[in-house]
Amino acid sequence: MADNVHAIVAKVFSMSENDVNDESGPENIESWDSFNGLILVDELENNFNIKFSISEITDVKTVADIKRHLKNHNVSVNE
Amino acid sequence: MEKSLSEYVSISKNIENLKLEKTVKIAIMSSFTLNGLDETIRVMCSELDTRCQSYVSGYNQYNQELLNSQSNYYNFSPNITFLILDIRNFLGDTFHYPYDISNEERKLIVKEKTEQLKNIIYLFEKNTKSKLVISNFNIPSYSPNGIIETKSNFGFHEMIEEINSSLRQMCKEKNSIYVYDFNNFVSRYGENNIFDYRQFHVGDIQITYNLIPNLANDLMSYVKPLLGKTRKCIVLDLDNTLWGGIVGEDGINGIELGHTPTGKAFVEFQKELLSLWNQGIILSINSKNNFDDAMKVIREHPDMILREKHFASIQINWNDKAENMTQISNEANIGLDSFVFFDDDKLNQERIKHEFPEILTVNVSDDPSNFVPILKEINDFNVLHRTTEDSNRGEMYAQQRQRKNFENSVSNLDEFLKQLNIKVKIKKANKFLTPRISQLTLKTNQFNLTTKRYQEEEIQKLSNNENFEVGCAQVLDKFGDNGITGVYIIEKNKNLWIIDTFLLSCRIIGRGIENAILTEIIKKAKQKGIAELRANFIPTTKNKPSENFLSDFGFKKNNDYWIYDLNNEIKTSNHLEVETE
Repeated sequence: MADNVHAIVAKVFSMSENDVNDESGPENIESWDSFNGLILVDELENNFNIKFSISEITDVKTVADIKRHLKNHNVSVNE
Repeated sequence: MEKSLSEYVSISKNIENLKLEKTVKIAIMSSFTLNGLDETIRVMCSELDTRCQSYVSGYNQYNQELLNSQSNYYNFSPNITFLILDIRNFLGDTFHYPYDISNEERKLIVKEKTEQLKNIIYLFEKNTKSKLVISNFNIPSYSPNGIIETKSNFGFHEMIEEINSSLRQMCKEKNSIYVYDFNNFVSRYGENNIFDYRQFHVGDIQITYNLIPNLANDLMSYVKPLLGKTRKCIVLDLDNTLWGGIVGEDGINGIELGHTPTGKAFVEFQKELLSLWNQGIILSINSKNNFDDAMKVIREHPDMILREKHFASIQINWNDKAENMTQISNEANIGLDSFVFFDDDKLNQERIKHEFPEILTVNVSDDPSNFVPILKEINDFNVLHRTTEDSNRGEMYAQQRQRKNFENSVSNLDEFLKQLNIKVKIKKANKFLTPRISQLTLKTNQFNLTTKRYQEEEIQKLSNNENFEVGCAQVLDKFGDNGITGVYIIEKNKNLWIIDTFLLSCRIIGRGIENAILTEIIKKAKQKGIAELRANFIPTTKNKPSENFLSDFGFKKNNDYWIYDLNNEIKTSNHLEVETE
């Protein structure tokens, strides 16, 4: 499943999946602005069939945060 | 929609370098965040072979932009502007507390809001030539008044209904302003799907990202006719498309049409097609069948809705479907790029897609109950104005088929033309004719000397300019009225007239009408003592049918243009009657 998160992130920010890691976030991915950030939320929700809360959405700083929230929604994410 | 918003956004980054045929300038103004709409529209335009230059006004800046006649928006000078407003913003506090005030006060607010809209439209008309598409307001499903909302005296919902109704009234008579029925969009996709409180709180997003492509698709309905990229003909298969089963095997009594649930689905589909036919969409048949078997159903089956008279071309045979398609195009005299192909068979779909990418081949599912929703999804049939010619088109094409049959029964062309009793009425442009004249300049590709495209406002302007003459021709014959089917625009200089535009709708080509119109122009020029009549032929990929018109008529090539010697004797044709108004 982790691959899948990385793949979605890579797709939304038009980058190579290999460049995505747990530390990836708005700080180090240039195209990760608030607009693309919400598109990412949309893609993740559609893909895993879940709904994030508003605090989960605003709290995300890195890919690791996304994985943490996904776990809260019982999505199994490989470490 | 075919693609998600993120896909549109990523494609939008790679369309800059594409070679595209047309250009359109689109402005988007909104009272809330509409990120991604611009990118999606640009991609959708590129799919129509059109480069879209866009201008997106700042967040909720529409009022300032409209008030300042020097604003970036006005400087951009768009062809079309989408102004998307939302009811929360528009009503302010009243949106949350409509019942904190009296019904009289609610009425006052509505009055004030209506004035505000009126002013927006006024500024718009005063300062731009752009077409404006302004959204109406969705009526929220919730009311703090609960079940007695509908008993409230000028209640919350009634307020918004009143604003919508006023907006509709004030735009109805305005040629370049359209109301986009956003309330209808919300009812189609559902308030709960469109409005996501999280996106709203995070970024004042009031239409969820999921549905931005659907909104863009709706707005493209206005762009397509502006570009002349509309479809006019639906080409239909028969077996398992207009009825269930295979008539060649099941026979007229064995096919499913009518009383069974499946049979009802086909009837419903036919009714929907007939309704489009009534609006001027042409229908044709392209089917592999024994002609007699299939025609028996069309002529005799009690539950058939569509009959022979509804089809402009009927190709029922065992030929290749692609070959038949060309045949239909020739017979109905319309370009393949105005076709929509509706056939349940995946192989046929693939065949046509491959052979004619310009045809819109519909992805039809096997389930006939899906046919109607699939048909309703197609937004390629829109016109910005419905002219008489549009509404009567279906009938005109059926007459055309009778003409063809008549032509085949007469021994030679001259005899055919003589017996057709053609009458050409030449008219100067006026405000009733303007929409049709503009439409013809936008849509006519084949018999068109210069292929210059003119929006309505431009035609209006030219016809008020005394250095120009804008005229058109109505063509009638013994089978009926073809409507306004020819247009010319002449630039009148002191000693020199230049034919700026000369075009004929393809369905009347080849009957000497083009010569008759040009002859009238020449007569006029002679009367005015003009020394020289000049014309131009600008070749395109599609206007080959008019390539030899000037030389055949007697024009002589001179450098880049063609000249007619006004001392020549004027030829008049004797098979048709010309009347100048």
